[in-house]
Amino acid sequence: MAALVRAARAGDALAMDEVLTAVTPYVNRLCRPIALSDSEDAVQEALTAVFVGMRRLRDPQAFYGWVRTVTVREAVRVARRTAVERAVDPDEVARLRGLVGLGDGELSAQVRDVLARMPVHHRAVLVLRELEDLDERTAAEILGVAPGTVKSRLHRARSAFRKAWQQ
Amino acid sequence: MSVDAVTRLRLLAAGLHTTLYAEERLELPYDRVWAVASDLAGELPHLVPLLREFRVPPGDADRKRAVAVGPLGCRSAFEVRLTPGWCLMQSRLVVGGMAAVPEGDGTRFAMLGAARPAALRPVQWAYALGAHRSRAFIRKVELRAAVRP
Repeated sequence: MAALVRAARAGDALAMDEVLTAVTPYVNRLCRPIALSDSEDAVQEALTAVFVGMRRLRDPQAFYGWVRTVTVREAVRVARRTAVERAVDPDEVARLRGLVGLGDGELSAQVRDVLARMPVHHRAVLVLRELEDLDERTAAEILGVAPGTVKSRLHRARSAFRKAWQQ
Repeated sequence: MSVDAVTRLRLLAAGLHTTLYAEERLELPYDRVWAVASDLAGELPHLVPLLREFRVPPGDADRKRAVAVGPLGCRSAFEVRLTPGWCLMQSRLVVGGMAAVPEGDGTRFAMLGAARPAALRPVQWAYALGAHRSRAFIRKVELRAAVRP
């Protein structure tokens, strides 16, 4: 992948096309639980940001980590543009990984409904911590907040997810 | 959900930082439009100024090597990726692309052109008047699709 990214950065359109094929399912997977009904817009804006910014990427080996950062920020931005955020009541989310699924498939209607009732930033924290297995510090860097904020958001999001799921 | 061919070409245009990109809705069926766009040997010389001939090996392979022949006989080798609704061509110096998706009774069609080496980008900017040239290309595709038997 690093070789393809290097070629793409140098203006090789065929390499760029292959990078696009490789990275689109991953960008989809990140955007869907965060941007929900706006995920199509989020995917397009995230991919645009990735391709416009690729020249500035210093280390092609770190490509997927960089894509994740760019994508989550874009997904949050797009979701917040249209979101009517409602606070949700408390409870758990150990099941989230299984519930959301790791493939490119649709989110189930129930999971979608539960996620839709969470603030965008809670959804983003869930994706980074539960699906991407990132530690608090890394998730905090991506979201531009303090690690303590990630911790408290994750706690509230897990609680909200468990409670909503049980209703 | 995956990105459609036109969105894909728009993303490549963003990545290539090119001004030669345009997309439009054409009031012609997709099959008619793509019949012109995908006939590289027969149609490209009518669509691209200063292209005398575009030699493509026959067959349905989606990866081919083609040769472009300029007005003075100079040749350039191109790598071509051609699948339904998608065409990407690249030589050492330039990139060209076309994409089409059905849109109701019509077709959304896009074209892309770019200079490859960074050193040529100022030339591209000076030459381009990007939107104008790319729209002219799309007009030609539309005209040829309308009269194609």
